[in-house]
Amino acid sequence: MDLNEAQGAIVRLMQDANAQFHKVPGSAIVLRYIKSSYQHDPVRSAIELLLFLFAIRYLLAPSYSVQRERVKLTEEEIDELVEDWTPEPLVGAPTAFEELENEKRPVLVGPTGPKSKLSNGRTVTNLASYNFYNFVANELLKEKAIQTLRTYGVGPCGPPGFYGTQDVHMKTEADVAAHLGTAACIIYAQSFSTISSVIPSFSKRGDIIVADRAVNYAIRKGIQISRSTVRWFEHNDMQDLERVLKKVVSEQAKKPLTRRFIVTEGLFENMGDVVDLPKLIELKLKYKFRLILDETWSYGVLGRTGRGVTEAQNVDATNVDMIIGSLSGPLCAAGGFCAGTEEVVEHQRISSASYTYSAALPALLSTTASETIALLQEQPEILTALRENIKTMRAQLDPRSDWVKCTSALDNPIMLLVLKPEVIASKSLSPADQNQVLQDVVDECLANNILITRLKQMPAPLGVPERNHGWQPQPALKVCVTSGLTKKETEKAGTVIRHAITKVVARRK
Amino acid sequence: MPFDDKEARRRRSSSLVYTEPPESLEQLSDQSALPNLNAQWVNAKGAWVIHFVLIVLAKILFDIIPGVSQETSWTLTNISYMFGSYLMFHYVRGVPFDFNAGAYDNLNMWEQIDNGDQYTPAKKFLLSVPIALFLISTHYTHYDLTYFIINTMATIAVIIPKLPAFHRIRIGIFSGPPDDS
Repeated sequence: MDLNEAQGAIVRLMQDANAQFHKVPGSAIVLRYIKSSYQHDPVRSAIELLLFLFAIRYLLAPSYSVQRERVKLTEEEIDELVEDWTPEPLVGAPTAFEELENEKRPVLVGPTGPKSKLSNGRTVTNLASYNFYNFVANELLKEKAIQTLRTYGVGPCGPPGFYGTQDVHMKTEADVAAHLGTAACIIYAQSFSTISSVIPSFSKRGDIIVADRAVNYAIRKGIQISRSTVRWFEHNDMQDLERVLKKVVSEQAKKPLTRRFIVTEGLFENMGDVVDLPKLIELKLKYKFRLILDETWSYGVLGRTGRGVTEAQNVDATNVDMIIGSLSGPLCAAGGFCAGTEEVVEHQRISSASYTYSAALPALLSTTASETIALLQEQPEILTALRENIKTMRAQLDPRSDWVKCTSALDNPIMLLVLKPEVIASKSLSPADQNQVLQDVVDECLANNILITRLKQMPAPLGVPERNHGWQPQPALKVCVTSGLTKKETEKAGTVIRHAITKVVARRK
Repeated sequence: MPFDDKEARRRRSSSLVYTEPPESLEQLSDQSALPNLNAQWVNAKGAWVIHFVLIVLAKILFDIIPGVSQETSWTLTNISYMFGSYLMFHYVRGVPFDFNAGAYDNLNMWEQIDNGDQYTPAKKFLLSVPIALFLISTHYTHYDLTYFIINTMATIAVIIPKLPAFHRIRIGIFSGPPDDS
């Protein structure tokens, strides 16, 4: 009785379910599919069923994160941590040496020039500015700049790709390209950020940069931003460069092709010496690397008309893939440039951060750059005059001083004077001691109305122990020769510097 | 320290199977610099619909080629979908755009989806589509053994790399593990 009832209920339920199922749209298709799918092939059906069940299982599985579990903190713990936290200063507290340096720092009043007026009323011979050709005092340039200012206003107030480009910028680009003999050129608004933006616009994570150990701070920043793999070679050692290139090529032989670059400087900011460009070109062609050459300190300085290392060492500028130079300093304008092929330049217009995101160069500086480049080309005697002064200054210092030697190249107006190794050894001077001694020399020179400066250490990253700071230049005096002084004045200044060095270093025990 | 740079790529030259190690701190910060637009779109509704649209279009395309039977046309639809999805989700690595300074260069798209989380709705959908397509195409190939074997192999090839157990696993038969020093 009960059983019958139950059976009847079940049958009814089944019939209802069946009827309901048939009402569902598409049920006939599913039924037909299931009926026809068996086909006397149990293995195949089993695979299909298995796959179906796997899909069901996957769909029903709860999602989970593969991220590392974060530590859960209570409100009190968070408050406690916030209470405990003391912010690190953005800039570390000045050291005793830096305090002293700040105290004695000379302050210029009025325009800079070969003879500058200090805030204490004295007039000094300025050998601490990059005013090599004394274009600062050139009335013609000043007149042109004022004219441009009246026409164009102060700044374009927009990035080059966004209403910032003016006809004067395009003219300056053409002028630089024509001067160097490259196909194209791009102008940046700031010299420091030119190379640190050019490198990451070409070299990315996974690409390889082979760089000189002594490259300047801007290049280091560029390499860091680019996230590329970097290999260093010994400073200006072409054999070591070849060894590194060989190693990179053999390591990369079986891997997907990556971009490879050699990054070095024309005149080294930290050493003052010059690169061996013909050998470098030979190696880059042999091992199929691209060459990024930072001519920040050599453009406008080396060569018969100031074209830089390429002119001085008789290398066609088109052999260098990217030439980076500066329009500030000796050229009396501002900003930097990168010259290369049409493709190299056009690539940067959209993908080089400091070009795309920074306001364009003020028009008056752009015209000034064009003017000074024209001056250098039309009157190579400007450069010869400077070289005469360099020779005069060098004669007073390098072979004649018992205490220092000049690491700079013969044509480099920035003369870096380091203490001779035997002096350092006999007096056992640490780098900090050397800085102290050289600062004393700078002070002594200033007392004799000659303004020179020291080569500054590269800023150390915060929170990194001193032994991990990496390569640092040897402490050096920096004497910037200018053609704004006569030969006689330069000679006199050189003598003063030599005597100051002798006085300070000999006194030091 | 798993975040240590040295550990970020370790060598296991003796083994064919290589697990992609966790990212270094620098890579992690680059990854989070911008949302990963390369993987985010799979969560959009249109991205789900487009699978069906593409399958139907492929079917139509193979149908209008003269001389192609229904069985071949379904099999071609199936393997072309499987091939396309394998290429897209499991073969190509990194991000085609320069959003994250190449911080995703070692991960394929499947591993980038939802930051590598497992069993998320998008992944469930992307796994069930090939299984459903496989069941349908075996049905319409009338359970012919040859077509069945071809379709099964194609399907297995896209399902295995989707399994959570194969997350960040690289199998190198011809190429050894990447070494980076």
